[in-house]
Amino acid sequence: MDDPVDIMLVAHCLKGRIDPVTYDLIAFGRKLQELGAGPMGLWLLGSHLEGAAQDLADRGGLRVTAVQGERVSDYVNDAFCAVIAQEIEAVHPAFVCTAHTSRGWEWAPSLAARMGAGCVCGVDGLVEFQGRLCFQKDLYGGKVKGLYAANSATTVITVQPGVFKFKPSAEAPTAAAVTLKSAAAPLGQTLYLGCKQAETDTTHITSAPIIVAVGNGIGDRENMKLIHGLAQLLPHAEVAGSRIICDRGWLEYSRQVGITGTTVSPALYLACGISGASQHVMGMRGAKFVIAINTDTSAPMFNETDICIVEDIVSFIPLLEDALRQIAKRNP
Amino acid sequence: MKILVCVKQVPEPEGIAVNRDAHGMAKLETFGRFAMNRFDEFAVEQAINIKESLPDVHIQGITVGPDRADQVLKRAVGMGCDEGIHLLTPTEIDQGPAAVAAWISQIGSEKYDLILCGTMSEDTMNGQVGPMAAALMDLPYATQVIGMQLTRDLSHVTIEREIEGGAREMVRLPLPALLALQPGINRPRYPSLSNLLRANQKVFETISTDTLATVTTEIDCLGFVLPVHARPAQLLTGSAKEKAEQVAGLLKARALI
Repeated sequence: MDDPVDIMLVAHCLKGRIDPVTYDLIAFGRKLQELGAGPMGLWLLGSHLEGAAQDLADRGGLRVTAVQGERVSDYVNDAFCAVIAQEIEAVHPAFVCTAHTSRGWEWAPSLAARMGAGCVCGVDGLVEFQGRLCFQKDLYGGKVKGLYAANSATTVITVQPGVFKFKPSAEAPTAAAVTLKSAAAPLGQTLYLGCKQAETDTTHITSAPIIVAVGNGIGDRENMKLIHGLAQLLPHAEVAGSRIICDRGWLEYSRQVGITGTTVSPALYLACGISGASQHVMGMRGAKFVIAINTDTSAPMFNETDICIVEDIVSFIPLLEDALRQIAKRNP
Repeated sequence: MKILVCVKQVPEPEGIAVNRDAHGMAKLETFGRFAMNRFDEFAVEQAINIKESLPDVHIQGITVGPDRADQVLKRAVGMGCDEGIHLLTPTEIDQGPAAVAAWISQIGSEKYDLILCGTMSEDTMNGQVGPMAAALMDLPYATQVIGMQLTRDLSHVTIEREIEGGAREMVRLPLPALLALQPGINRPRYPSLSNLLRANQKVFETISTDTLATVTTEIDCLGFVLPVHARPAQLLTGSAKEKAEQVAGLLKARALI
């Protein structure tokens, strides 16, 4: 009989490499504990887990159960769900938490539906509200956040990466035991065929000191020339864009900033008509200085911005170009 | 081949306003402007692409929502779907992904070879209906699908799903299956005039959700809050020209130009 845990953290570990989001998860679990949750354990699924499991147990100061087996070494959603469902049966956690990644977001809701558990995806905050523990998440592209409380015995949560910051525990880890198990995933019909890395070269935007980034606010394709023209006036600037611009074929995907695109950290990020959904913002948070231009005062982009300008980019960019030319004339 | 496409009616991005109420909470106001969830357009387009490349494909759109939601079924038929099913809810309130998935699974189970949906909705951004409905129907599924290829005998589908940093993993699923599609998998078309005229004549099959098995809501939404500023968010004032001059001055002062 396994010891019960209140918080079950679930992470995938490929070939012994610890995914950094695993630490975000541990930080999230600690925050849950601060708000009253009980014992916490980490379940690691994947392959070559011994070293990684011990590292995480030591650094995180928590129990780690490493589950290895053929159908969990690579990620297959049905095998993941089956294995985690078995583990849940054994320890009855109140919270099952995994990272809000392409994979976590895929299996977590399915697991919740199978178990009749509540599910909140993309959690970026934990608060007490009206005497209840609430999970906070983005709505309407991040314009507003919703507070969600669960009624279920078990709640499945996916946690936004990069929000909860891990600090190694000051005190020595207390009996941070590692358990190794082999996965008893039933043979499913879903077959994993492999993974291919992005082939596009993104060095032009990862190395650019200035990025002029364009979003849906540009309106028509015709207006894209404004963005290219502005970039030409700024030294070594490159044009990048949000997902929607690349989906329309107005920019190549190698110029997409965001989770599914490229992460950039230029000296200046000039966001033109970008609403600022978290999928985009995660890709530019490292920028040193951010200026955003948008007509919508409640655009979430403005929360990630040093200087906010409420204007229509189509009429504003020509004025900005004039101002830049004036300055260049005065300071030859 | 029978395809079911899940579409949601959502407020247009410009159709909502967010304000702070007297208690510091956020207040949402909608202006009655609704549209098809942008992410679902890719699912509709994909279904139509399949219909155009294979014989004997029948596409049904399905939506869950109040009276007004039949507008998205009209758009789906306008784009090229054959039929629409409206699961009519008695209230305007969004019923949440668990309930929607449960209702769709009661309609969709064992009737379709392929069920397509978008990766998430623009309004509630849960991305849960697809994987939940698949679980309830015991179907193989994949989300964030950015490429798909049906086998010649239509027994399987090989998909590419997008993972972090633009990498893609490849997975093979037997049909029937449910796929949640990533934007960019295709370029959704505009409805054609002739299809729209046809859609306007159509009477969609309407099923009251009251007649379907009830689902307990495990998650309550208690309220809304405004996002906090991660940076100073200094608002420039003045005329547009003055703001442009301020920006140029700031860039000069920071030695960026």
